[in-house]
Amino acid sequence: MTAERCREWRELLGAYALDRLPVGERAGLEAHLEGCAECRAELDSLAGIARLMPLADPERFEAAPSPPAALGDRVLAAIESERRASQRESRGRRRWRLGLALSGATAVAAAVLAIFLLGGGGGEGPPEREVAFHSLPPRMEIDMTLVPHSFGTEIRVYVSGVRSGTLCRVFLRDGAGRRSSAGSFRYRWDEGSEAVLTSALDLSNAAAVGIQVGKRTFEAGV
Amino acid sequence: MPPGALSDERDVREAYAAHAGELYGFAVRSLGDAGLAEEAVQETFLRAWRAGERFDPEIGSLRTWLFAILRNVVIDLGRARAVRPRPAERGVEPAVEPIDEALLGWQIEEAMRRIGEQHRQVLVETYYKGRPYAEVAADLGVPEGTVKSRVYYGLRALRVALEEIGYDG
Repeated sequence: MTAERCREWRELLGAYALDRLPVGERAGLEAHLEGCAECRAELDSLAGIARLMPLADPERFEAAPSPPAALGDRVLAAIESERRASQRESRGRRRWRLGLALSGATAVAAAVLAIFLLGGGGGEGPPEREVAFHSLPPRMEIDMTLVPHSFGTEIRVYVSGVRSGTLCRVFLRDGAGRRSSAGSFRYRWDEGSEAVLTSALDLSNAAAVGIQVGKRTFEAGV
Repeated sequence: MPPGALSDERDVREAYAAHAGELYGFAVRSLGDAGLAEEAVQETFLRAWRAGERFDPEIGSLRTWLFAILRNVVIDLGRARAVRPRPAERGVEPAVEPIDEALLGWQIEEAMRRIGEQHRQVLVETYYKGRPYAEVAADLGVPEGTVKSRVYYGLRALRVALEEIGYDG
């Protein structure tokens, strides 16, 4: 069977598959199909598509609706918010695990461990201080906890809602307004870690804590 | 893309840019409501991001994976909507069609948007409007045989477009 001869028949296959070929032309085509496996295979393939065609609505062929421009930002914000929530949860779990470890030890061992952890403090837990930053830009979040030590102040800080790779510098400010640096870190979007920094300034002498995130600086009273 | 294809913000942005339009188009079609469709697309990317580790490009394209997620989201939203009382003034209940028929219908519509105008035109006139070939041929000023062959090449073009958008027979 030559391809050229098949072509004439093939061009009828669309109408035939859609059941729109006049009776007069059907007999000849069907006779050809009897003897031509390739044309039969082509018909099967087109018939599969023809069967789907009633499911489509021709009024929708012209233009598909497009999503509002703001949807992309909302998707990213929803993901970011869930990522933050799961990070907070895993940080919570870490603290909880430490608590369990302590309660599971014997009373004496726990007391020794506590004293060791607190650097010679009393039997109480260290008076951690949560710091609240107000008037942050939308979507930005800073969680900060200050922990006093004999060697200075430990600052645990967690930032989100800024560009990955942003340089963040953390400092304490004493009563006279002098800055004492606690070091710097880079914010990474996809790493669920908080930075742990230290300043030599004693927490009792600190009046404020600040963080410079990129070009913006935020301060909060201690 | 490596496994965990949606694990960071840039991946999500890329996937959104490439596929959100189609996902939204299908969501609007199957839910019949732009607001619900936005919700569905957002939920789809959120679920995809949560399950990002499980995406395996060896098994299928990102597009196919996202559509599979959206399909489930639409089913969930449809169920939620079914139990929610609807205000009477909203009028006629949209016809409920099984989700997979909706997906196939949407695929045909998307494929129709992708093929050439000449091909789409003869399929619409002869098949969807049911007009005789001779009449369509006279309108277009071409022989009837040309209309028949355009129907044939139109179906072939549709097949190619369907394959492009992931229809696998």
